[in-house]
Amino acid sequence: MSRPLVVTALVAFAVLGLAPVVVMLARIEPHDLTAAFSQRSLALLGRTALLGGGAAAVALVIGLPFGFLVARTDVPGAGVWRVLGVLPILLPPLVVAMSWAGMSTLRGGMATTLVLGLCTFPLVALYAARAFERIDARQEEAALLAGGLRGALRAELPLVMPSALFAACFAFVLAINDFAVPDYVSSIGPKWNVYADEVFASWRSDQNTGRAVAAALPLVLLTALALWPALELRRRNLLASFASDFRRPGTLRLGAWRWPALCVVLLVLGVTALAPLGYLLYWSGGGTRGFSFEHMRAAFAYALEVGRSNLQSSLLFAAGAALVAVPIGLVLGHALERSGRAGRWLAPVALLPIAVPAILFGIGGIAFWNRPLTGAVYDSGWMAVLLFAGRFLPFVVLAFSAAVAMLDPRIEESARLAGARPARRLAWIVAPALAPAVFGAAAVVYVLSMRELDAAILVPAANSTVLFRLYNAVHFGRDDFVAALALLVAFFVIAPGLLWTFFARRRLEVLP
Amino acid sequence: MPSLTSRRVLHGALASGVLVLAGCSGAPDLIVYCSLDQTFSEPLIQRFARESGLDVRVEFDIEANKNVGLAMRIREEAAARPRCDVFWSNETAQTVSLAEDGLLQAYDSPSAADIPGEFRDPEKRWNGFAARARVFIVNTQLVDPAEIDSMWDLFEPRWKGKVAMARPLAGTTLTHMTALYPVLGEAEGRRYVETAARLAQDGSLNLATGNAHVMRLVREGQAAFGWTDTDDYNVARLEGYPVAAVYPDRNGAGTLLIPNTICITKSAPRPEAARRFVDWVLRPEIEAELASSRAAQVPLRASVARPAHVVDASGFTAMKVDWREIGRAVQARTAEFQELFLK
Repeated sequence: MSRPLVVTALVAFAVLGLAPVVVMLARIEPHDLTAAFSQRSLALLGRTALLGGGAAAVALVIGLPFGFLVARTDVPGAGVWRVLGVLPILLPPLVVAMSWAGMSTLRGGMATTLVLGLCTFPLVALYAARAFERIDARQEEAALLAGGLRGALRAELPLVMPSALFAACFAFVLAINDFAVPDYVSSIGPKWNVYADEVFASWRSDQNTGRAVAAALPLVLLTALALWPALELRRRNLLASFASDFRRPGTLRLGAWRWPALCVVLLVLGVTALAPLGYLLYWSGGGTRGFSFEHMRAAFAYALEVGRSNLQSSLLFAAGAALVAVPIGLVLGHALERSGRAGRWLAPVALLPIAVPAILFGIGGIAFWNRPLTGAVYDSGWMAVLLFAGRFLPFVVLAFSAAVAMLDPRIEESARLAGARPARRLAWIVAPALAPAVFGAAAVVYVLSMRELDAAILVPAANSTVLFRLYNAVHFGRDDFVAALALLVAFFVIAPGLLWTFFARRRLEVLP
Repeated sequence: MPSLTSRRVLHGALASGVLVLAGCSGAPDLIVYCSLDQTFSEPLIQRFARESGLDVRVEFDIEANKNVGLAMRIREEAAARPRCDVFWSNETAQTVSLAEDGLLQAYDSPSAADIPGEFRDPEKRWNGFAARARVFIVNTQLVDPAEIDSMWDLFEPRWKGKVAMARPLAGTTLTHMTALYPVLGEAEGRRYVETAARLAQDGSLNLATGNAHVMRLVREGQAAFGWTDTDDYNVARLEGYPVAAVYPDRNGAGTLLIPNTICITKSAPRPEAARRFVDWVLRPEIEAELASSRAAQVPLRASVARPAHVVDASGFTAMKVDWREIGRAVQARTAEFQELFLK
């Protein structure tokens, strides 16, 4: 890769992803740190770590068998369940929490842990499924001969666990940074506060932004602690890579266990995806006030009428963010993978934009972009595009570095020897070979941008997004409208993945 | 079905990029930051834009931010490049706090001449209008509203686990709890807030995510009654839920009225348009419209017509508060409440 190209991408990453964070960290004075590590805040942090660990464990316990069943076995409809299994991670966690609170009386820490585990299990399922698919057929056949299905699983579990643990680390990170779910789920009974509450409250109570940033540091440290093992697993190449003579394994026959396995899959999907969607459908039709399809039709018509321009803005910003993030991520992901020791140092830095709380990133965006020189950008829709791109670039970089790892370097070398310049090699050799990963990375940025609220709420352009409209509507109690709009959001979040799944010949590639 | 080639992907990307570029531009005649619910304020602001011929850009807050997001932005932007002309807040304490920090400019709007003095800044930096009252929303199938008449009823042992309020770290609940200190006296105010925090710890008092959530808990019978705002109560009433509003402490401290406030920022880039907008919003007609809306805001002018479900002065005792004092205290109180409620 040419040095100017990498430097350009690095500068773009520094401006979009790092500058908002650095601007805020620079405000911390040494004395601001004392309050951040008080006994009360450390107790909150301990509870938050417990929540993260619990949610990651739930995600692991559900995701690992789910990934295995839908990716490798003859469970009826496995392919469909595999696609649907992604749904819970695409739905806003608050929607899942609201449906949970409507259907169950379990509250407090246990319920919070369970809800966040259920919301994040698809991460583990996706990674586990991919890892199970990368077990070499010859190795599996040998294990099957020696010990049957149980023996094969015993042999394969150690190969799959690193990928599942990698995903569980991200489940941990998502869980500890969420404050809406704990707040909502523990609103009946003893309050179960978490550290993310403290971060948000500090911004509201303290006009000294240095102190407020310092208050976020313990959570940033906890996030970094969770990401470190993930990066180590990746660095040690333990994430289910395969050799060039790899033979894809066949479908495993479950025999009499086929139908009980289907029940397990449907139960998981029912609780995590279908129940929240059903809850929303029920409320769009009037809910407990009297359900009717006429009411539902009217709610959707009203949601489309009021939310159409917001949906358009969200689609525009999310697509724009994906377009900005993908080329930068492609160059950096390539550099990360091919640059050896330098890449090892770049990886933790690349994760910084998602390691800080969203509110800190959003205010950093104001502080960095709202200047006379860049004021026009700040005032325009570009601000939302750049903010989303910067915030979610780490996922793109990681996805491309993983995809590049699977690409034989000799292909690029041959193109270089044939006289192709670096930009040309990237555009016409690397990118086409990674087409599913290009689309997959773009889809990740698109999905996350469509769902983003906490960071975006602070910049002017975010006012026109559909999530903004949705959260505003929650307040004035039009539950049918809110439910219909939430379902429309969910549809547009899922749409690109569904289109690819139905119309493209190759599978979406976003995982290492 | 043909497979997606790299060329098609690139062409698609370029086309989408052009669309994104086309969608991101504009320079308005007036920028308004507004934390009154978008549902109620947006049609009014759009009407002003039509009548004045000005290109008005309005940026809203969301309920989850409880007005603090916009105040935070005004502070952050003021340091480098002020862009907000008018701040229309759905409450008072944050506005007063901005005024105390020198971020607002004085403007004596002729439209505000007949608004009662206690809802106007003596230095003319902000004006109050169209208030919400802090009331108990009561589920009438669970409790007879006549049984509740004091704010202290929230802590009665017989209601253990059946009462609710929002965590007082933002919004009108924060303003309300802050106001109790000067109104009840430091010791009594502290006793009220500390009792709430203690009962919340063991689940005797349910802490909701916000006032709208309190309304939902009560209307669905998960709580018998709780603190909320009149606009939230009115939404439940209109939806036909079995609820009533209690304006407590008629013979004591009274009910807190929290008005909307409107102000012009210190370095408003378009001050002339800002004044036109402030004059337009502070007219009695707007108070009347907000009273008739789902928000059921309480007009501050006695002369403004209101529907039967919106109280007038005979329906409750108004709590006497000094908004400057509350504005000055709110930040320190938030830090105190954080210690009490975030454990």
